[in-house]
Amino acid sequence: MTASSSTPGTSGVAIPFPMTSSDDPDAEGVVGTWFVLDGESVTEGQIIAEVQLDKVSQDVHAPAAGVLRHAVAESVGVAQGGVIGHIE
Amino acid sequence: MTATETTTGEGTRRITTAKAMAEAIALEMRNDPNVFVMGEDVGAYGGIFGSTTDLFAEFGAERVIDTPISETAFIGAGIGAATEGMRPVVELMFIDFYGVCMDQITNHMAKIHYESGGGVKVPMVLMAATGAGYSDAAQHSQSLWGTFAHLPGIKVVAPSNPYDAKGLMASAIRDDNPVLYLFHKGAQGLVWMAKNPRSIAQVPEGAYTVPIGEAAVAREGSDVTIVTISLSVQHSLDVAEKLEGEGISVEVIDLRSLVPLDKQTVLDSVAKTGRLLVVDEDYKSYGLTGEIAAIVAETDPTMLSKPMVRLAVPDVPIPYARTMEYGILPTRDKIEAAVRELAS
Repeated sequence: MTASSSTPGTSGVAIPFPMTSSDDPDAEGVVGTWFVLDGESVTEGQIIAEVQLDKVSQDVHAPAAGVLRHAVAESVGVAQGGVIGHIE
Repeated sequence: MTATETTTGEGTRRITTAKAMAEAIALEMRNDPNVFVMGEDVGAYGGIFGSTTDLFAEFGAERVIDTPISETAFIGAGIGAATEGMRPVVELMFIDFYGVCMDQITNHMAKIHYESGGGVKVPMVLMAATGAGYSDAAQHSQSLWGTFAHLPGIKVVAPSNPYDAKGLMASAIRDDNPVLYLFHKGAQGLVWMAKNPRSIAQVPEGAYTVPIGEAAVAREGSDVTIVTISLSVQHSLDVAEKLEGEGISVEVIDLRSLVPLDKQTVLDSVAKTGRLLVVDEDYKSYGLTGEIAAIVAETDPTMLSKPMVRLAVPDVPIPYARTMEYGILPTRDKIEAAVRELAS
C-alpha cells in the first residue's frame, strides 16, 4: 500500500521493532501501517507506524525529529528488535 | 454540502478512523466532565474495533466503564444518565445485537424527548460496529442503518473516513438528541483487517465538528452520480478513479448522515448527471436505495435520463463463506459494472 520504493535508510537514528512478545523473542511481526510515508518529515514522539505481532498491535513513535526512511514495507516479516526504519 | 477535501489536516500526522473516533471522544471528555464512555470491552481493551483506544489510560474506570454483557441494562443506564444531564457515549459492540436492547433504543432513547413534551432531553451517543467483508457471518456482519433511520427520534450517522469520523463524533456528543453512530469495521484502518488507504488520513489534532445532516461531495463528476454511505464510499471512490482514465466522470455523494438526510445535495447531483446509482451495504428492500429513489421520483422523475440502478445486499442473511459473502456485497466490481451500464 505505502511500500517504500527507495533504498532502505542505513544512517541516522534506527527505529527498532518493539519487543512485544517476551515469551517468544524469536517471533516475527509486521508493520501493519506506516502512517508516515517514506521521505516525509516527522516530529519527535509523533506516531509513525502501527506494528503487529500475533494479535497484538502497538504504536511506534518517532525517536527523534527528522526525515523518516522506511527499511521495511507493510506486511513484511520483521524480528523483534529488527530495524523497521531510520530518522535522518 | 461540505467538501471534505478542503478541510483535511496538514503535515504528516495521519491516523486511522478508529483513532479519529477515540481522539474526538477524548477531546470532548477533557472539555466536559459529563461525557463518559460505557460498553463491553471499551476499557483496557480499547473497544474491539479500536473506537475507545487509550481512553481508559487517560480517564480511568470511573469515566470509561466496562459493562457486563447486558445490552438492555447498560443502554438503559446510559439513557438514564443522559436524562439527568450527562453525555454518555455507549457502545453496542455489534449493531447486530440490537435485538436484545431494542426496547431501550426505540421506545426510550428515541421517544423520551417527545413523550415528555420536550421537557427531558436525551443527549446520548449510541455507537456500534457495522458491516461485513471478513467472514463474521450472519449475526455479526449486518449494516442495519436503514432499520434505525426508519424509526423516528434518532439521528443516524455513518462516517467513511477519519476526518468525518472525528468531526461527526464531536457533533454527536454535543447534540442534545440521541445519535446512533455507526462505524464500519472495514473502514476503521485496523491492522488485522483488510484495509483501504482511505481509512488512514491526515486529521487536525484539535477539536472540530462535521455537521450532522450534511452530505459531502466526496468526488465531483459529470456523467454518473453514486449516492452511498460508509465503506461503500471508499469502494465508489476507487471505482471513480479507475473509470476516470476511460473518460467516465463519476460524482460520489457521501451521505454521512441518514437522519437527517441531505436531500438537496443528492438532488443537485442527480439534476447535473441525470444518471443515478445508489450503493448500500444494507439490505435492498425497504431501505436506503428505495428511499433515494422515492426522493428523486417525488421531486422530479424527469431528472433521470436513464432508469436508476440500486446496488444493495439482496434480502438474504450475510453468508460466512468468503466467496458467498462477496457474492452478495456491493463490491468494486459490481459498482463498476453498474456505472458502466449507466454511462453507456
